[in-house]
Amino acid sequence: MSSNKKYWKAPEQIHESAKVDHLEKNEFVEPLPTDEQDGESNSSTTRRDFLKYVGFSTAAATIAACEGPVIHSIPYAEQPERIVPGKSDYYATAMADGFDFAGVMVKTREGRPIKIENNELVRTTSASKARVHASILSMYDVQRLQKPEVKGEQRSWVDFHLLVKDRLRKLKGKPIVFLTQTFASPATKKLIREFKKKYPSTRHVVYDAVSESASLDAFEEKFGLRALPKYELSNARNIISIGADLLGDWQGGGCDTAYSQSRQPSKEMSRHYQFEANLSLSGGNADYRVPAKPSTQKRILVELYNRLVNNTTTVDLPKNITKMVDQAVNDINNNKSRSVVITGIQDKNAQRLAMEINMALNSELMDVDDPKMIREGSDAEVMELVREMNQGKIGALITSGVNPAYSLPNADAFKKGTKNLDLMVSCAMKMDETASLAEFVAATPHYLESWGDVQFSKKEFALTQPTIKPIFNTMQFQDCLLDWLGKEESYYDFLKRYFNNNYEGLSWNQCLHDGVYRYEKAKVEPSSSTVSFDAGQVCGQLASSSVNGFELALYTKIGMGDGQQANNPWLQEFPDPITRNTWDNYVTVSKRDADELGIENRVRSNGAIDGDLVNIKVGDRSLKNVPIFVQPGQAPGSLGLALGYGRKSGLKEEMQVGHNAYPLYKNFKSDQSVNIEKTEGNHEFACLQLQNTMAGREDIIRETDLDTYLHQSKEEWNKTPEFSKDHAMEPVDSKKVDLWTSFDRSIGHHFKLSIDLNSCTGCGACVIACHSENNVPAVGKEEVRKSRNMHWLRIDRYYSSGDSFDEEKEKLKNLGTFETFKDVETASYDNPQVAFQPVMCQHCNHAPCETVCPVGAIGHGRQGQNQMTYNRCIGTRYCANNCPYKVRRFNWFRYNQNDEFDYHMNNDLGRMVLNPDVTVRSRGVMEKCSFCIQMTQKSILDAKREGRPVKDEEFQTACANACDNGALTFGDVNDKKSEVFVESKDDRMYHLLGYLGVEPNVMYQTKVNNKNKMKEKSNA
Amino acid sequence: MSHYEAPVRKPLVTGDKVYKDVTEDIVRPIEGRANKTWWIVFSIALVAFLWGLGCIIYTVSTGIGTWGLNNTIEWAWDITNFVWWVGIGHAGTLISAVLLLFRQRWRMAINRSAEAMTIFAVVQAGLFPIIHMGRPWLAYWVLPIPNQFGSLWVNFNSPLLWDVFAISTYLSVSLVFWYTGLLPDFAMIRDRAKKPFQKHIYSILSFGWSGKMKDWQRFEEVSLVLAGLATPLVLSVHTIVSFDFATSVVPGWHSTIFPPYFVAGAIFSGFAMVQTLLIIMRKVSNLENYITVNHIELMNKVILVTGGIVGVAYITEFFIAWYTGSPYENYTYLSFGAATGPYWWAFWALILCNMLVPLTLWVKKYRRNIIWTFIVSIIINIGMWFERFDIIVLDLSKGRTPSSWAMFSPTFVDVGIFVGTLGFFFVLFLLYARSFPVIAQAEVKSILKLSGDKYKKMREEHGDDVQMYNLPEQRPLPDFKGMVEELEQKNEEVRDEKGELIESLLLKIGDASNDNADDLKRLSGVGPALEKKLNQIGVYKYQQISKMSDKEFTILNRLIDAFPKSKSRFWSGEANILNQI
Repeated sequence: MSSNKKYWKAPEQIHESAKVDHLEKNEFVEPLPTDEQDGESNSSTTRRDFLKYVGFSTAAATIAACEGPVIHSIPYAEQPERIVPGKSDYYATAMADGFDFAGVMVKTREGRPIKIENNELVRTTSASKARVHASILSMYDVQRLQKPEVKGEQRSWVDFHLLVKDRLRKLKGKPIVFLTQTFASPATKKLIREFKKKYPSTRHVVYDAVSESASLDAFEEKFGLRALPKYELSNARNIISIGADLLGDWQGGGCDTAYSQSRQPSKEMSRHYQFEANLSLSGGNADYRVPAKPSTQKRILVELYNRLVNNTTTVDLPKNITKMVDQAVNDINNNKSRSVVITGIQDKNAQRLAMEINMALNSELMDVDDPKMIREGSDAEVMELVREMNQGKIGALITSGVNPAYSLPNADAFKKGTKNLDLMVSCAMKMDETASLAEFVAATPHYLESWGDVQFSKKEFALTQPTIKPIFNTMQFQDCLLDWLGKEESYYDFLKRYFNNNYEGLSWNQCLHDGVYRYEKAKVEPSSSTVSFDAGQVCGQLASSSVNGFELALYTKIGMGDGQQANNPWLQEFPDPITRNTWDNYVTVSKRDADELGIENRVRSNGAIDGDLVNIKVGDRSLKNVPIFVQPGQAPGSLGLALGYGRKSGLKEEMQVGHNAYPLYKNFKSDQSVNIEKTEGNHEFACLQLQNTMAGREDIIRETDLDTYLHQSKEEWNKTPEFSKDHAMEPVDSKKVDLWTSFDRSIGHHFKLSIDLNSCTGCGACVIACHSENNVPAVGKEEVRKSRNMHWLRIDRYYSSGDSFDEEKEKLKNLGTFETFKDVETASYDNPQVAFQPVMCQHCNHAPCETVCPVGAIGHGRQGQNQMTYNRCIGTRYCANNCPYKVRRFNWFRYNQNDEFDYHMNNDLGRMVLNPDVTVRSRGVMEKCSFCIQMTQKSILDAKREGRPVKDEEFQTACANACDNGALTFGDVNDKKSEVFVESKDDRMYHLLGYLGVEPNVMYQTKVNNKNKMKEKSNA
Repeated sequence: MSHYEAPVRKPLVTGDKVYKDVTEDIVRPIEGRANKTWWIVFSIALVAFLWGLGCIIYTVSTGIGTWGLNNTIEWAWDITNFVWWVGIGHAGTLISAVLLLFRQRWRMAINRSAEAMTIFAVVQAGLFPIIHMGRPWLAYWVLPIPNQFGSLWVNFNSPLLWDVFAISTYLSVSLVFWYTGLLPDFAMIRDRAKKPFQKHIYSILSFGWSGKMKDWQRFEEVSLVLAGLATPLVLSVHTIVSFDFATSVVPGWHSTIFPPYFVAGAIFSGFAMVQTLLIIMRKVSNLENYITVNHIELMNKVILVTGGIVGVAYITEFFIAWYTGSPYENYTYLSFGAATGPYWWAFWALILCNMLVPLTLWVKKYRRNIIWTFIVSIIINIGMWFERFDIIVLDLSKGRTPSSWAMFSPTFVDVGIFVGTLGFFFVLFLLYARSFPVIAQAEVKSILKLSGDKYKKMREEHGDDVQMYNLPEQRPLPDFKGMVEELEQKNEEVRDEKGELIESLLLKIGDASNDNADDLKRLSGVGPALEKKLNQIGVYKYQQISKMSDKEFTILNRLIDAFPKSKSRFWSGEANILNQI
């Protein structure tokens, strides 16, 4: 640094004369302390260097003085045996919250559960998969109770139990009532029996918020067992459903996998008739859907009984329904043993009638030997309990897993009754409506922190094991019971002992590992004797049911269910598969009735939908200012309203949406006679999809009927789009019409995803699984309303504008030059055909998004993925504009650690659910489906480390994993033995908007319906 | 004959202007003071600008979510405004470069302001691509600069990147071209400037322009070269902006007609904006003689031609959308679906403003009507804004998958930023109008003899060969010698008369000298100036004054200008007393 230049002061210096030397030496009396300044005499540090050092050290000191974020992480003192950082562990366990029962696999990272996966060993699946997959977030809920509370004060468990035991003793024989959810747990039943031994006045009342009592009673009457018949639909040829949402929550759900199997297009494909009031998922998937209000449904059931069992016609039905019943009867008669009639009418007689029909048909689809045990509730007992509570006959009420103060139709009576109790203990995860009434609130753990067993069906069982140490100071209901019984053992010991005593020949460790087990010798005590059935009387009663005014059909949404998980932002933001509304419940009404009542839905200038408000009244109970939604396909004369909304207690303010419909759920009947009147006001919906039809476009959902599919060439029903080149038509995938020189894709992996539109029911499990795997943020109602939802995977729902999609296309072709497109744009309100289509990033090989990014933040992976580099993205959003599929999602705000978006990403507990393998995106960047590249990459690396080729089943995405209907198949198309390779060669394969030639790596399989087209044509 | 122009051509400079008048008229706004109207308009513009700035700061600090955009319509007002401003910035270069090459002399009166408008408009336009980014602090990533990020490089396939080059090239060439033309004019202001500060500033700005023949020769050469360079830019900039849309796969954007159609549209809107600004400016700065109705009519003709091209393009788009038979084209911004859909108002605003209203300019009476031209120019500006809004928002709102159809409504931030850029634009333009020569006076002077009203008339009267420097009607020079003599004689007479009066005065009051003069300022109404005057006459002492009477005061009144006659009444009394003290 220092310069070597010499400066001279006098000419003598140049000549280095001795005189100068001498003078210089004698200039100062003492030598200058230059050495000290420079360090060493030959130091080259100059003033400039000095300034640099000062500058750097000041800057360094400044930076060091800035406070970095302090993250409290405590290293393991000893490395646990099984926990390897960066490696996931999976545990099999079971969810049983009284409404949803499912055997699941739980993915944990560093001891922290982050995702729910399906357990493929479970045969009796049940419940809405969306809720099951979302249940993990309910564990990381800041509103949870963290400690037991006595009279609103936090106490230790020792104090709590001492106080409860003391109070139990003081009851002196007054009845103790357990009001619990359906545990379906043999061990818990045993435990309650033991409790009964100590306190003989104990009674156990099982309460299902959404009742299946009618079916349970009917089954009990017929077969002497309180259970639900199991329907094995995979071999079905004819499924006739009368008001049963078999793809939804009907009788505990769980029919969809088998249903999807039966829907595979072949000669054996099932045909599905659906008679229903609200347009449900089942109705959307049915070949023939007939809108019929609940009272008509009853008559249809009677008519079917008469036609199939007695061969008579007795009931007057509208002409179009009679025609459809005729057709159904014809089809059933062609193959009786593989046909089934099911009903969702909440009436013991109706359920009984359906069973009788199936028995008469000798249907092999109804399984009564291994019935489902996941509902035990008895409406009558619950009502009796409330009555007794009000009479002051009950000493102690101990609730667990239920929230009657919210969900009972007569919740007010219940609340009043609690005042007469000597003791009320509520075992609850939240300070919900019921817990806030109780003197003693036992904080219970989430199922992922608990032990337990579940009996799905008579012969199939599952074990629940904790996947994390309880986050809070909680104790599960069974442990409390053991303590109150004065036992030292934990519920784990109790459960293990019970298991070893009762399941001969089964290994505890193996069963715990598998999560599920079958025990063929399982015995269930018959509860009562069979009762004879007077068909004539039943039919007469059902057929005569008539209702004045509107009929309300209450239902549960596939996202919200009975409302237990209302504080779960994933589920709140999960769109209803039919209406595509989020964060809401509302009255659905048919267009015809809406016009009569003067009700409308309005589209605002920002594209959002607003609706009118109504008051509805059932008997003496009314619900005020409920938003109303005009629903295509709603049976005229009927209204729909979802249960499970409108909860207030123990919920974040953002989640307190909707109206509580339980007060209208009189006598636990899902159909009610109702009065409706329009009121002043306006409601803002947060609807994800505003356009309801495909506007006659052919390349979105391809559909054909079974006959055409079986007997005609692919060209007829699934023609590859063509492109004109030099006045000759070339198929769009031909190299001749390709502008690009693409690289050799035959080397290495090439991922493709195939979506079978026949298997997809639109349930949305994949949507939640994608949220969970990819850290997709929740953005809240206002943002969804502005079309800013962040879903990487959406399930489009289309209604036809005519009676069918074919008619819609025909309409467009015949449209006059100066006719508006209203005809094809507006859904048919009477009874539209419905179609579902999951859409995520299509990973185009010729991706329009990739070319337009100015900074090259989007690249195409060697393995076919379209890769988004968040770090490089500057947020011009050009890619999203240029995406024909509109699957790219922009971070309009910072969604994490932001009080404006106070969802799970805004607190430390909620952030525990985040997948450490996936970046949490910052604001201002684009994001989208990545084909779960973190998962495929892991599979490749695992195989590489083990020195073997990757197996086909190892390649998975979260959505494909979540779908046990087999609608999504993911894999390496270069592996000629892979499933996805087979799918890619299937005749049904087509690309969404294939004519664009963007060569998507997502394929769709043409939907094949089982409509009797030939016959219909000849009839016409 | 060197200054011959066909007499049928209307004069480009009216009002008997000679060279000096041109200079005076053009520097008047610069050398004078701003009037009240200017201050009011400037304040409004400044407030709008500051409001827009606030909105920009809010956007950058919070997120693009403060705008009304959504997952379907990811561009709306931002890119609409961007394209609109770029379009407005088209007229300047067309006028100065293309018309220069075509030797259109009428451009000289308007090119300076048109170019200024171009630059200010491009500045506004350039704002939007930056602030519309999700992470604008990384905007420099669009520049192909070597970086520390390894092999990262910009994506040369992206039309947005082409935009970066197109806009920055256009801005820099326009700026240089504009500035070159300003040099002789700045020099003119420098030479006239009286205040040293102004002189200093303008001499820096004029780059030492000396007005030598060599200067002028180089000036002409550079202008021609730059005009040659800028001409392709007129076509390229909006062509490339149109590629943002034309190379995409969005129905309605993907259209081969876009490049020529966008260029024509840009010139259309650019000229409309020039009309708007110049019609105001000629009035405010009294430039009616330079920007004449002729100029306005000529610009209206350009508007008619480009408007016609745009109209044909609209019809073609509409026809082709229908003719394809593709259902995806049913909803493009010029289609039946758009005309009857939820955005019908935007569709019809476009048709009305851009196609129908400009048709009135076919009528000569309207074309030459300044008020109507002004109204039409504003309507065209609105229409062209709607054109871009329609292209972007309508096309995006109904894309290929109907499930994602959505609509857009702006938030206050969207509106605020747009208004802010209008404010910013006018702030710049108003400052320019007060500190820059708004008309290229050097160029106008070059055509003054050719096309000036005065000289045209002269040729008409005296034939084409008239010598314009030897003015025929000059009066003979006056007799200067006689005048001087006469004046001297007069002065002498006056001097004589004064001498007599002083003599008679001093006779009465007595002589005195400066030696021990009294302080006459103590007399009422006498200040230092009056005292000096009295001394000059020979009045020094109180004693002299005490002897004065009305007669003497009358004499003094005649000798001294502005003599305080009313106060002098007291003097003799006062002097008497003062003398005795």
